[in-house]
Amino acid sequence: MLEGVVINSRQHVGLQKLSALSGRIRSSVGPFKNYKFIQDESSGDSVLVCSCFRIIENLEPTCAVGQLVYETVRGHHKQYRTGSGCLLFLAGGWSRAALDSLRRGISVQHIITAMSEGIDICLDVCKKFSVSFKDLAVMEKCTAAPGGTKKASTDASIEMANFHDKCLSKSGQRKVKLSRHFCEAKSDMLSTVRHPDQPDMIVIAESLSHGCEKAMKLAVEAAQMLLKTNQQHIRDPLFDISKMLTCLVSGLPEDYACVVEGCILLLSDEQAAAAHVVKQQPLKVALITGDLSQTYRHLGFKSLPGEQCVCEDLDLSVSNKEDEWVDKVVKLLLNLEVKLILTAGLVSQKVIQHCCRHQILVVEKVNSSVLKTIGSSTGAIPVNYATQLTESCVGDGVNVEIWRDLSSYERKSLTAVNISTGRSSGLVTVVVTSCVHGKLQALEDQFWACAYRLHHALKDGALLPGAGGAELLCVHQLQKQAEHDRVKDSKTGSAANLYRGLVLQLMAGGLIDYITAVMVNTGRFTAANARTIVSKQLTEFHRDEISTEKFLQLVSQSKREDAGFSAVKPDEAPALNIYDNLSVKQEAWRKALDLVLLVLQTDAEIITGTGQKNEGNLMLL
Amino acid sequence: MHIASYLSSLMQMSRLVKKSPSVCTDLPLNSSDVCNKLRLMKELLKSSYGPTARLKQVHNNIGGAVVTTSTSSVLLQAISSSHPIVSLIKGSILNHVSRFSDCGLFASVFCLSLIEEAGRCDLSKNVIIRVNKHLLSLCTAHLQQEDCGCKVQLDFCSSQSLITLARSVISSKPTCVLSEPESAHISRLAVQAFLLTVPCNIPDKVRLGRTVTIPMEGHSVLESAVFPGLLLDTPENISLGNLCSPLRMVLFSASLAGDLSELGDGRIEVHQGVDTDSQIVDQLLELGKQVLKDEVKLFVCQKVIHPVLQHYLRCNGVIVIERLGISLMEPLIQLTGAQPVATLHTTVPWEAYGEVHVSVRPFGSKTKLHLHPAGKTTICTMILCHRNETMLSELKLVCQKTEHVLRLTLREPCALLGGGCTETHLAAYVRHQSKNDVSESSPVLGCSQTEYLLAAEAFCRSLESVATSLEHDDGASLIDLTHAHHWTLPSDATEEHLEDAAALCGCGVVQSCQNKKWSYLNTEYAEFSPEPLLTASPLQPTVLDSFTAKVNALEVAVETANLVLDVRYVIQDVN
Repeated sequence: MLEGVVINSRQHVGLQKLSALSGRIRSSVGPFKNYKFIQDESSGDSVLVCSCFRIIENLEPTCAVGQLVYETVRGHHKQYRTGSGCLLFLAGGWSRAALDSLRRGISVQHIITAMSEGIDICLDVCKKFSVSFKDLAVMEKCTAAPGGTKKASTDASIEMANFHDKCLSKSGQRKVKLSRHFCEAKSDMLSTVRHPDQPDMIVIAESLSHGCEKAMKLAVEAAQMLLKTNQQHIRDPLFDISKMLTCLVSGLPEDYACVVEGCILLLSDEQAAAAHVVKQQPLKVALITGDLSQTYRHLGFKSLPGEQCVCEDLDLSVSNKEDEWVDKVVKLLLNLEVKLILTAGLVSQKVIQHCCRHQILVVEKVNSSVLKTIGSSTGAIPVNYATQLTESCVGDGVNVEIWRDLSSYERKSLTAVNISTGRSSGLVTVVVTSCVHGKLQALEDQFWACAYRLHHALKDGALLPGAGGAELLCVHQLQKQAEHDRVKDSKTGSAANLYRGLVLQLMAGGLIDYITAVMVNTGRFTAANARTIVSKQLTEFHRDEISTEKFLQLVSQSKREDAGFSAVKPDEAPALNIYDNLSVKQEAWRKALDLVLLVLQTDAEIITGTGQKNEGNLMLL
Repeated sequence: MHIASYLSSLMQMSRLVKKSPSVCTDLPLNSSDVCNKLRLMKELLKSSYGPTARLKQVHNNIGGAVVTTSTSSVLLQAISSSHPIVSLIKGSILNHVSRFSDCGLFASVFCLSLIEEAGRCDLSKNVIIRVNKHLLSLCTAHLQQEDCGCKVQLDFCSSQSLITLARSVISSKPTCVLSEPESAHISRLAVQAFLLTVPCNIPDKVRLGRTVTIPMEGHSVLESAVFPGLLLDTPENISLGNLCSPLRMVLFSASLAGDLSELGDGRIEVHQGVDTDSQIVDQLLELGKQVLKDEVKLFVCQKVIHPVLQHYLRCNGVIVIERLGISLMEPLIQLTGAQPVATLHTTVPWEAYGEVHVSVRPFGSKTKLHLHPAGKTTICTMILCHRNETMLSELKLVCQKTEHVLRLTLREPCALLGGGCTETHLAAYVRHQSKNDVSESSPVLGCSQTEYLLAAEAFCRSLESVATSLEHDDGASLIDLTHAHHWTLPSDATEEHLEDAAALCGCGVVQSCQNKKWSYLNTEYAEFSPEPLLTASPLQPTVLDSFTAKVNALEVAVETANLVLDVRYVIQDVN
């Protein structure tokens, strides 16, 4: 066995690695992101990445800490599609805090206790300062009132202050539901409890767009279309995100991005010809979950290695097996009058050719949620093999329309069709376009980030003060607690909380680092400048000994003053409030701290297997 | 003919490289290389011991998945050494862990300490081995005594002591990253699950049920729950419709994938034009027809079911579940009374069908099929939730371990004081006893009185070093000189502040007070007989260890150490 011992001294290698990894994404947190090229030295390939998740994904970290980071970030991204940068950045910031604490001789156990307490304080702050939709709706009314012009007049701010007094005094009873999991129960609750004065989805969306206004516009449009087509109750704006699809088209300017009802799929030349024949008439549809080829077998099927064919007499006229199979399938399809086949897997070239000859449109690699939705709205039952198809599995009433002929934009011909069911199938496709092929992924990511932000906001029913507001508040609370501990220590002289204050202070430092990094990324501040603004804001907080009521006002004022945290350009300054997702942020912070604590407690790597590499600090057992 | 082949084989042999002779090492424990390896192993396992342990990242050198853990079963499995002595120790500890689940690290650290201490004191190995054996029997006899000072009887009338025991096991693994309320919740669930597996009305033979653990990533720990019966994954949009419970069900252990996998690598010859695949599908559909005729409503297969059969059954209103997995077979058989069918070539006998109640239970984003019998069941399902994979996999391990530990209490309804107090208590007891019986024991063991006392001292120091291994933050370990419990003093606290810094001993039974006398462990102190705690109410320790597992671990550690000390030669085939 090989064993690499990370020396658990005051220079914790694991934490340093974590901090270094998070340093990679420093310039990618916040709404202002720069594109990065990641190049593979061995193959010469390169990818254009923008979001923090894609950076980590493409860096393919191989060290143990790196893998732990990737596992965590991937899990978070899968669920939320946003907030990975915040997670990773804070993991880095807090690992530096832990390193600093170690350097000052604080024991691991003390650091763990203090940091767990710190995160509890932060999550508590989030819970307390979250703005429910009800408050938001009232706030909207305030700004819409004739007195409140765009330039914030003194009257308006007084009014705002009054309003905050009012609504936050109620907030004592308000319960923010944090459970993200029981969607059905949740949506019931939302529709019953919700006040008639719902805030506008567009307003919520704008405040959550974080610099991706275009993507958010698409997300809102898609959400509203979903709600409309599914005839959901208007008072329950929680849309089913699994019915949103994206279709990437390169070669078109970005402004061509749009939202279309139905399912947009790209077809090749041959398929397009078939599509032209079958368009604009109700079609019978078959759904296949496997591949459409003779050699395909379902998952878990073990083909016999030792099967031999024995011939009694030589028959040269026998055609090969594949042709036989294709003939059989096509005959079956013709019998069933199926004109459209959607498969989740791949389709062999021969099948496509044969089908096109018989004017049957075959589309491969269709998203399984599309199959499900089309299945339920047409009565088609997805089957694994084409030979399984019977009358009862075939659905009807599907329409194929040529949505756009994109051939002129690309050398090879490309046609986009819209597959929809006459009855509301409830699918909505967002077509993401870009002239630069390499940018498509980033644009798609942006769209999904916005769509999920909107989705989670509606699910939470509450928002968090954004633009660094929540972080600032946490810093304030952490520092207050730290100060409190210090005073108590000096009074009692006990060693019990000796280090807690220090660790909390360092944790607050990690958050300040995050805020300043976001500010620096806007390009309007130097690091020093940003720090000054943040500390000025904090001293104001401390001096005023702010009550919860005044906070929101402060944040919105500060935004007007320096527009520092916001993504809004300075000239259009006081336009809107910026918010963050409550559950996403809480979850990201928790996960960041989990990472730090796991790495902090790790003191050795055990590398199994025979290794040729002999690194310096390896010990052999 | 014969001669020719013999000759040719001889000629072939002559071309082979000559085998190199085996290497024989004399007194392996005297070599510094072996000592270094053992020391490294001890450091590795010692630093993983206890609730404040340091974790290890286990992975292979080709970028495989990383496991973060401090669990002995995972750590020891990852250790593969070229040296047979390391393998010997690893093997015997792993064997203990596979039988008792708990106290693997205790046994390893104690065993390695015994070997190290034996090397340090200048005695003949034979003497040490004999004395170790003697002292082990002294310890086990003491632990079996009714009035043993470090043993508490478990009270089955309340769940409190069981929860304490479960909680001690669960909180001993920091990789789980559990907060106080979370570990309390999981301990309660573990005890609840354990109680559900104990049958209520006992026939002639008691048979415990099973707890099936389902991990679910991405949820809060507090959403973990225990259900009687089984929860199975279902294909989406299942509708029970108008199925009336209980349902008749059939269970297949044979693969229904439509392949001939049971042939293995055997060869099969088929005639041209014969389609084996479709023939098997026909056979499967026959089977489907039969179960439909027999009014089966739930069709479960351990392995894959051919999509055609699945489709056929679903269209006829049967709930189909495939890929159940081997681990769920036994609980499902117990729950439903079904007999697993191992072939698809005969009709299913009537006795093989089982019966079960079914309901649909949404959990998170998934829908689960909840199977439960009409009456009481001893099968239950524990859904474990955690925020990420690393912590969840450790939590699963810990919960399985807890289940085992709780089951062991049925054999011997007692527990040992945790937090190092049992170790310090035993050390004090052994020290005291060996002083007292030195004149009788030393002639029996065939050694001088000094030798006996030296060997006993080494034994006690090894025990105490296990207690000190609980501390990883440079804190000091102490023993109080009245009850011989274990105390830890944080590195930043001074001895004057001991009362504030360490208000309670390791197991939480003894409170510190002004006139207590302490001594640092690993320093010399006058031997004394540990006084029993005199309280009116029964003891309420906060940390408990499994009695059965610890007693066995003690034996395994001493016997393994003795065996290692007894090794004279190592003969290695280096070819």
